[in-house]
Amino acid sequence: MELDYILLLSALLFVIGLFVVITRKNAIMVLIGIELMLNAANLNLIAFSSYDGSLQGQIFSIFLITVAAAEAAVGLAIVVKVYNYFRTADLDKINELKG
Amino acid sequence: MIELGDIISPQTHSLQVWLVVLLLAPIGSFLCSCLLKKSAPIISSGVIGLTTVLSIYLAINNWQIEPTIIKGNWFRIGNSQLTYAMMIDQLMLVMAVVVNFISFLVHFFSIEYMKKDKRKPRYFAFLGIFTFSMMGIVLFHDLLLMFVFWELVGLSSYLLIGFWFEKKSASRAANKAFIVNRIGDLGFITGLMILFTQFQTFDLEAVKTLMVVSEIEDGNWISQFMIQGQEVVSSLDGRWLSAAGIALFCGAVGKSAQFPLQIWLPDAMEGPTPVSALIHAATMVAAGVYLLARIFVLLDAQALEVVAVVGAITAFMAAIAALSQFDIKKVLAYSTISQLGYMVMAMGIGAYTAGLFHLVTHAFFKAGLFLSAGIIIHQLHKLETDDIKFDAQDMRVMGGLRKKLPITFFAFLICSLALVGLPGFSGFISKDAILLDLAVWSDIKGGGFYIPEVLAFATVLFTGFYTFRMILLVFFGEFRLPGITGAKNLGDRLKDGNLNLLLPAIILAVLSFGFAFTGLGFSAESSWLAHALETPVYIVPISYAAQSLVDISEQTFKDLHGLVTVVATGLALVGIVIALISYRPNAKLEQSFIERREPVGMFGQVSFYHWYLDAFYRKFILKFFMLFSQASSWFDRKVIDGIVNLIPKITVISAHLTKWFDRYLVDGIVNLSANLAGRVGQATRSIQGGNVQLYIALSFVFVILLMLYLVF
Repeated sequence: MELDYILLLSALLFVIGLFVVITRKNAIMVLIGIELMLNAANLNLIAFSSYDGSLQGQIFSIFLITVAAAEAAVGLAIVVKVYNYFRTADLDKINELKG
Repeated sequence: MIELGDIISPQTHSLQVWLVVLLLAPIGSFLCSCLLKKSAPIISSGVIGLTTVLSIYLAINNWQIEPTIIKGNWFRIGNSQLTYAMMIDQLMLVMAVVVNFISFLVHFFSIEYMKKDKRKPRYFAFLGIFTFSMMGIVLFHDLLLMFVFWELVGLSSYLLIGFWFEKKSASRAANKAFIVNRIGDLGFITGLMILFTQFQTFDLEAVKTLMVVSEIEDGNWISQFMIQGQEVVSSLDGRWLSAAGIALFCGAVGKSAQFPLQIWLPDAMEGPTPVSALIHAATMVAAGVYLLARIFVLLDAQALEVVAVVGAITAFMAAIAALSQFDIKKVLAYSTISQLGYMVMAMGIGAYTAGLFHLVTHAFFKAGLFLSAGIIIHQLHKLETDDIKFDAQDMRVMGGLRKKLPITFFAFLICSLALVGLPGFSGFISKDAILLDLAVWSDIKGGGFYIPEVLAFATVLFTGFYTFRMILLVFFGEFRLPGITGAKNLGDRLKDGNLNLLLPAIILAVLSFGFAFTGLGFSAESSWLAHALETPVYIVPISYAAQSLVDISEQTFKDLHGLVTVVATGLALVGIVIALISYRPNAKLEQSFIERREPVGMFGQVSFYHWYLDAFYRKFILKFFMLFSQASSWFDRKVIDGIVNLIPKITVISAHLTKWFDRYLVDGIVNLSANLAGRVGQATRSIQGGNVQLYIALSFVFVILLMLYLVF
């Protein structure tokens, strides 16, 4: 399999994730976008790892998935707390810092 | 080499407590007089009486003492240690006795004399200050402290001359005395500065020690000594040595009323008569002579010549002025100036002993004369009523007082005989000694230096004349006052004073006899006083020193002595005889005296107006001074004020400039930076709108830009 395609796929995935993070108003959607960007990075790690034949990258990506799961849990917990406090998860409404 | 620190180092002596008591007791009298208004006369007389006893006790107990100095550190300025020093020697003891004794008699006399005056406490307080300051001069052996007390004496003299300050003439006289004395003091302080420049100390004994080792080299006056281990070489032009002596003498010229500053003393008679006796006859005016005695050995030949000539001129001028006065106190004042001239001249010719001897004898007989005159004035004042007003000091209202005031007459007569200098009286002994020394001095010097001798002998003649003119006009003939006022039996109420008035006059009259000073002896050599006051030798560098009279052989004096005595006594007698002829009762001059006004004829006017000295000062010095002050006033108004006014103008203009600069430049920069910061803030805050997603988008944009930058 060509490395380029995989890299393009991961770039596409990253950009989609970024797009979701930037455009969606809901905090949970932003969190999902971040997961997408993280997985794009994982894909890159795996792609490069299979390309040079060592397993380092793949092992690292497994760790990353684990950490991402923990991170998603923390992120969701924060969102739940935010929702409890502000009674909304809309990012435009919970910004306190106004320049 | 001499270390300055050693010769001014502190020294103590068991007597110092007594000296301090002697100095401070009169201040106690001053304070008591200020606080206890009612009993001021008695208390202050008592205090001065005690100090008199103390001073006599000290003098008797320590008569044989070697000259002892008490020193101590006063204060430090920079590297100069200023000290105070007191001298215990016969001269100081004699002066302390004279000052305290006469001060006591005057206090005692004043109890009665000032009885009716409402400002008695003030009077006795002033007398206390005077006695204190005079004792300061006598006790301290340090030029700076002497100068301080010198000024204090001038102040108390000012206060007492102007005691009756409601009288315009009295306050003017006080001012005159003070200002004229200032001129002399200017000289004094100049002398201080010269000696301090050379020797770095005011201590007289240290100055003398250093003077001994100073030398004249190539016309320069060089003095070498050590200060704290460091060698100091002072070098001045040799003329400064003479200048120092003459400058210090200027102080004496002011205080002792010598030519050309003697004009203040006749006016000083505006003060109460006891004050005239104490200050302007016996003690303060003698302070100048005392100062000369203290600095005697520091005077060089030139300075001494100046002193001698000034003294002789003063003696002569004042004797002439005394010839034609109407005011009894004026006659006494001029005779005081004349006798002071003798003393100063004596110092100038090197007759140290004779000069100081005359100071002491003169203090007694002149105080006696003033107190007797005070009795006359006091008793005459009692005759004044609302209808009858007259000048109680004017001899034209007196006459025939011998019968009314017999005791006063005898006291006055005895003191007068001492003043004239007839054998048997104290004035004869001292004056004879001066004239003898003068004759020897003139013979040594020769040439123009015979002039002082001529003047001094002429003065003897005039002294005889004016003294007896005064006696005849006051005590003989008819009492003229009833004739003037028209009140016929005015004379009946006139009687001798009480004990307070008479006792001091009698005591002073007794002390005017020669035996008080010489016992049974006839001339000054046999006097105990002359033995105590030996003439010291000059210590100025040898090429500048005058020839000391000590070095002249006894034989020279012996040869001249008879002649001098005979001539002096003869001249005095001639003066007396002329006075007797012209002013004896019923003589033409005596008869017309009552309506005499200012004298006619050149000689009479010169005498009456005291050689027109006052007019001279008014016409020339004062006029010049007024012109000068006007010129400086103009200068002050136009130039200095102009400059002063210019400064604010310049300030205002520069302030305007500064204001513009401040407003447009400084404020401009401040506003610009504030504005800039505001704009930057405005610009940057718009991208921080709290929109998290925008931040993320922007950070990606910048990451991409950064990567593009890093890659390419």
